[in-house]
Amino acid sequence: MKILACSKISDQGIFLNGIQQSIEKTTNNWKKELYIKLGVEYPKFYKMDALAKMAFLGFELISNSTSIDHLADDELSLLFANKHSSYDTDQKYVNSYMEKGSPGPSLFVYTLPNILTGELSIRNKWYGENIFFIQEKFDPEFFIDQINFYFSKGSNACLCGWVDSAKGIEECFLFLVENKAGELSIEELNNYYKQ
Amino acid sequence: MSDLKETLKEQIIEQLNLEDLTPSDIKNDAPLFGDGLGLDSIDALEFIVLLEQNYDIKISDPSEGKEIFQSVDSLAAYIEKNK
Amino acid sequence: MGIETGMERTVRTIYMTYGAMVTPLGNTPEDNFQSMSLGNSGVQKQSASGFNGEDWPLGKIESLHSDNRYTELLRNTCNALKAKHGQQLFQSEKTLIIISSTKADIESLPEDTFTSTRKIIQEVLSPKNAPLIISNACISGVLAINTAADYIKAGKFDTVVSIGIDVLTDFIVFGFQSLFALSDQPSKPFDKNRTGISIGEAAGAIIVSSVPPDSDKFYVEYLGGSSSNDANHISGPSRTGEGLFRSINRTAKRANINLKDLNFISAHGTGTLYNDEMESIAFDRLGLNNIPLNSLKGYFGHTLGAAGIIEILSTMLMMENNILLKSPGYDEQGTSCKLNVVRENTKSDVQLALKTASGFGGGNASIIIKKKV
Repeated sequence: MKILACSKISDQGIFLNGIQQSIEKTTNNWKKELYIKLGVEYPKFYKMDALAKMAFLGFELISNSTSIDHLADDELSLLFANKHSSYDTDQKYVNSYMEKGSPGPSLFVYTLPNILTGELSIRNKWYGENIFFIQEKFDPEFFIDQINFYFSKGSNACLCGWVDSAKGIEECFLFLVENKAGELSIEELNNYYKQ
Repeated sequence: MSDLKETLKEQIIEQLNLEDLTPSDIKNDAPLFGDGLGLDSIDALEFIVLLEQNYDIKISDPSEGKEIFQSVDSLAAYIEKNK
Repeated sequence: MGIETGMERTVRTIYMTYGAMVTPLGNTPEDNFQSMSLGNSGVQKQSASGFNGEDWPLGKIESLHSDNRYTELLRNTCNALKAKHGQQLFQSEKTLIIISSTKADIESLPEDTFTSTRKIIQEVLSPKNAPLIISNACISGVLAINTAADYIKAGKFDTVVSIGIDVLTDFIVFGFQSLFALSDQPSKPFDKNRTGISIGEAAGAIIVSSVPPDSDKFYVEYLGGSSSNDANHISGPSRTGEGLFRSINRTAKRANINLKDLNFISAHGTGTLYNDEMESIAFDRLGLNNIPLNSLKGYFGHTLGAAGIIEILSTMLMMENNILLKSPGYDEQGTSCKLNVVRENTKSDVQLALKTASGFGGGNASIIIKKKV
């Protein structure tokens, strides 16, 4: 198992492969600022919810440093988890029918945590396996187990993520691993997460 | 009419949860659907709600929306005609 | 195939047996089967269930009566599991519990929607290992079985109890209503006059294990499973059925079977114009037009996170009882590709079955199971 790249977005800042990027995560507009700074042309970004936006940006960061063009379009499995499911969007959607007069369909479709894997797949034309778990905290051992399962089933790479947006906390940790010789220990993965 | 268009842009941003956009990001004649702002048939349903809640205009058949919601210009024109 | 991963890779037979089944039609697998064979449907008009007071047809479990129907249903299901299988099974260190749910205890907002799930599992079953939760829209149930098989094949656990559960809430009903996706009549999957979904609620559990079941217990073997994304749209299916096509192919390869040998397909069949059409295209691309097929959603409604589990349980019941159950609501072909939709209950030795599921986020998942011969 070889780790190819990772990105981390949190209150600590925005990191790619352990190096802090020059864009701050201090303003409320940080997602838009990062989107513009990355020079991405993808208008659908604007209607995504916070989870999907963060996962999208986290991977755009990674793809600037690492190419996975050598992989077939279904060789990459998406393995994601978080603690709060789609909490922020759930609240907004409930608000739409309790306070604002009618249930909002464009909010409702984002009230599932796995929608972000759909957005990543659409953007990158990936037809591989997807799964989303709800966990109490980021668990590196759990992810390593899952990666090994998908490698043993024939996946050649996994894009894994811990992406959460709830109660003022915004966090996105993505890491890309390939089924090649190399070691990724629980400790090493935990260190990447703790940046 | 230009006041209506400015207001519409704010309402579109609010109704479709495009929280990172400002009215100045949306051009009057830019396509809202497909390649433009990337909106789709689900978002068209939100436009129907927007018209009903803010302008008392009811569109009963969602498929009529395609023409009307093409751009801020076409939306404003429709509202002027039907209010 | 398979670079050394340092993980045990023995070839183990994976057995699947009935755990529990609580639906609008009954509280046990046997009761459900009895009711389904009689052609009953749990989908009834529920008065004032819509945002504007509409009477939407929904699959409601009438016996749930407390303030929190989710925790009540989960507790009932866990108690049923404990009563039937004994507490020791769940407290073994070689046992894992997986929960599959799309919205869980959503009405407890602003509380976290999955907190009560862990609490109840802990209270009633007291497992040694913390339960795993999968929340991946309507394919969650099938993913839960695939994940169970992953853990068992790797030797991490001997037994995995996969529980699927979702309840009816305003959150869900209003949401599908806002998408114009609800049918004002009970849904008619694959039928020419279908107009949408009927939402339902249910809880079910399947025991997935490498331990051979007692000789008097019915079981099926898990042969393989997979998932695949459409890479097309977050809430509408691919027009070419690409994700479903790829998932079924991948699953057949893993199961080492020829798709032509299938005796039955339990399709997703929600009753919307787009979903059912997409499935027919995918099945057609795979040459599966003549394999007997149904959608079970006419019996229970679309039970979201529980759907994969209770529909696999229903398939197992059909295999045990040598019968193909009809697809409720189907009268006339309504998809551009021909399918062999089961119109009436038919005696049949169903040995090899495919279950498929599709869901928001562009997900598709499938599994293949085989009856013991």
